[in-house]
Amino acid sequence: MAHHVEVQHNEIREIPKPNTGWIWKTFWVLVGITAVEFVIAFTMPSSTLRNSIYIVLTIFKAFFIVAEFMHLKHETKGLIWSILIPVALLIWLLVALVTEGSYAGELLQHTFSS
Amino acid sequence: MSTSSSTLAPTTNSVELEQPRSGTWDGGNEPFKASYGKLMMWFFLLSDAFTFAAFLTTYGMIRHRNPVYVGDVKDFEFSTAYWPIPEKVFNAFPGFHGVDLPLAFVALMTMILIFSSVTMVLAVEAGHRMDKNDVQKWLLWTILFGATFLSSQAWEWSHFIGGHEEGTLMSDGTMFHGANLAMNQYGPVLFGDLFFFITGFHGTHVFSGVCLLVWAFIATTNGTFEKRGHYEMVEKIGLYWHFVDLVWVFVFTFFYLV
Repeated sequence: MAHHVEVQHNEIREIPKPNTGWIWKTFWVLVGITAVEFVIAFTMPSSTLRNSIYIVLTIFKAFFIVAEFMHLKHETKGLIWSILIPVALLIWLLVALVTEGSYAGELLQHTFSS
Repeated sequence: MSTSSSTLAPTTNSVELEQPRSGTWDGGNEPFKASYGKLMMWFFLLSDAFTFAAFLTTYGMIRHRNPVYVGDVKDFEFSTAYWPIPEKVFNAFPGFHGVDLPLAFVALMTMILIFSSVTMVLAVEAGHRMDKNDVQKWLLWTILFGATFLSSQAWEWSHFIGGHEEGTLMSDGTMFHGANLAMNQYGPVLFGDLFFFITGFHGTHVFSGVCLLVWAFIATTNGTFEKRGHYEMVEKIGLYWHFVDLVWVFVFTFFYLV
């Protein structure tokens, strides 16, 4: 019986109006960055500069998804750092192994060309 | 007599015990002011980020180990001698057979996934307001976009496996179309393998996400979260879903653009 009363009470309760402005703002930022990436893909020849621009834009997109959609910006400092520090170490992994790959590639080409 | 009565009588100490204990080691604490479930989801996602980072780092390493195509992009032909240019591999669109539409389909897939992320946030937002109907509505949209993304990926895979019409002349003199784990017409063997592993692992995540969303939709419809008094489960699944979108942002850059 008590349960039934509670349900009725819930139905009477007013539902607040949605507050979705920030969500759509973030959406347009993400769409905008993706559009810029496509414009670059078809107007700029492939180069280190182009790849650097892509990586910067990707990090921008990642920031908006993690900070706004995943709400990390509004969590405590401790949580933010315990996620960001381990992820930052991955940058080192990427740089180290890409360098290693380039070196191995060069070595292979020189071995077979001479 | 007096000794026994004093043992039975409640002491001042036991009165204190009736009150809830709220010390550091008494339980009920929320480190980082986040609930247990949300915190564990964050750390699971961190570990998952390591897995995806390992995949993408491997891609970077293997790609740099292979020679780059030198020469005009117009004259590009598939060859196992160098790494292929992504926009030459991924240039097909369903219904536009034989038309060169570089990266168009993957752009559509990216938009679908970004859109599904938005509908997911809208579901979480509706959950905060305890608006059951809105949660249902936005969860359904998210499921729809997730399923659309998965179907698009299925098409992308079948096209990649089936291959382009012209095929590529292999070193043993035969023409080869499409791709499998042992050989492919687009470039070095590992190009095909990394495509299958990276997009496949991501697709598996999307599939798990869709399953979780379907379950959350059923639970919402049954009023499970309404009775519980909060929609935190939708929020946790939301975290997972955004992570999948986040990974796609990186896959998109490193596999299709760079």
